[in-house]
Amino acid sequence: MKADKTLDCTGLFCPMPIVKTKIELDKMKPGEVLEVLADDPGFEKDLPAWCKTTGGQLLAMEKDGNMFKGYVTKK
Amino acid sequence: MKEKMTIILFSGEMDKAIAAFTLAATAAASNMDVSIFFTFWGLNILKKTKFARSGSQNIMQKMFNFMSTSALPITKLNMFGLGPWMMKKLMKRSGMASLEDLMRTARDLGVKYIACTTSCGVLGLTKENLTGDVDEFAGASTYLAEAVNSKVNLFI
Repeated sequence: MKADKTLDCTGLFCPMPIVKTKIELDKMKPGEVLEVLADDPGFEKDLPAWCKTTGGQLLAMEKDGNMFKGYVTKK
Repeated sequence: MKEKMTIILFSGEMDKAIAAFTLAATAAASNMDVSIFFTFWGLNILKKTKFARSGSQNIMQKMFNFMSTSALPITKLNMFGLGPWMMKKLMKRSGMASLEDLMRTARDLGVKYIACTTSCGVLGLTKENLTGDVDEFAGASTYLAEAVNSKVNLFI
């Protein structure tokens, strides 16, 4: 998936990947896609849950071994 | 209207504080209004210096502040301070955010700090003993006014 920006959160644990995603997404325009890389096993569930509470939109969640790639955009 | 979350931080242990600030930072990152009410031992987390001294403290208050400091213990396996040291090392090694990181993040995301005036009075703590991050010095009614409108209330 094509992204406008990539945020690398590998090596970070909850809550930092989510917190960094929020801060980064706040700087972006609606419709722009943020790609978040993370290897915290909780990230796969946390990012969709965060999107639900904030009204952000999860476009995709890809899994590659221990790595997750989440794609989010502002609604 | 924004959802609200309130936390009463009563405990002065590092592990409990990490749990509280993890949730506070996450809630704030989820666009919630978050406030933390620091009372009793929770005030140790906000102390500017290890031994919070002030001229107005009596001998018992001095003793309390000498024995219960901003060098936070952990709830299990404290081992006279070896436990917290080991915990900090392990957290750093595994890439987990420290309590200081979490507190800074929480403040950056707008988490509000309220310090309990009654506890400050009992322990002989003044505004000068606590970090400048404290937004309000207030009592139970202030906490309740926030809590009554919030869906998430925690006592830690």
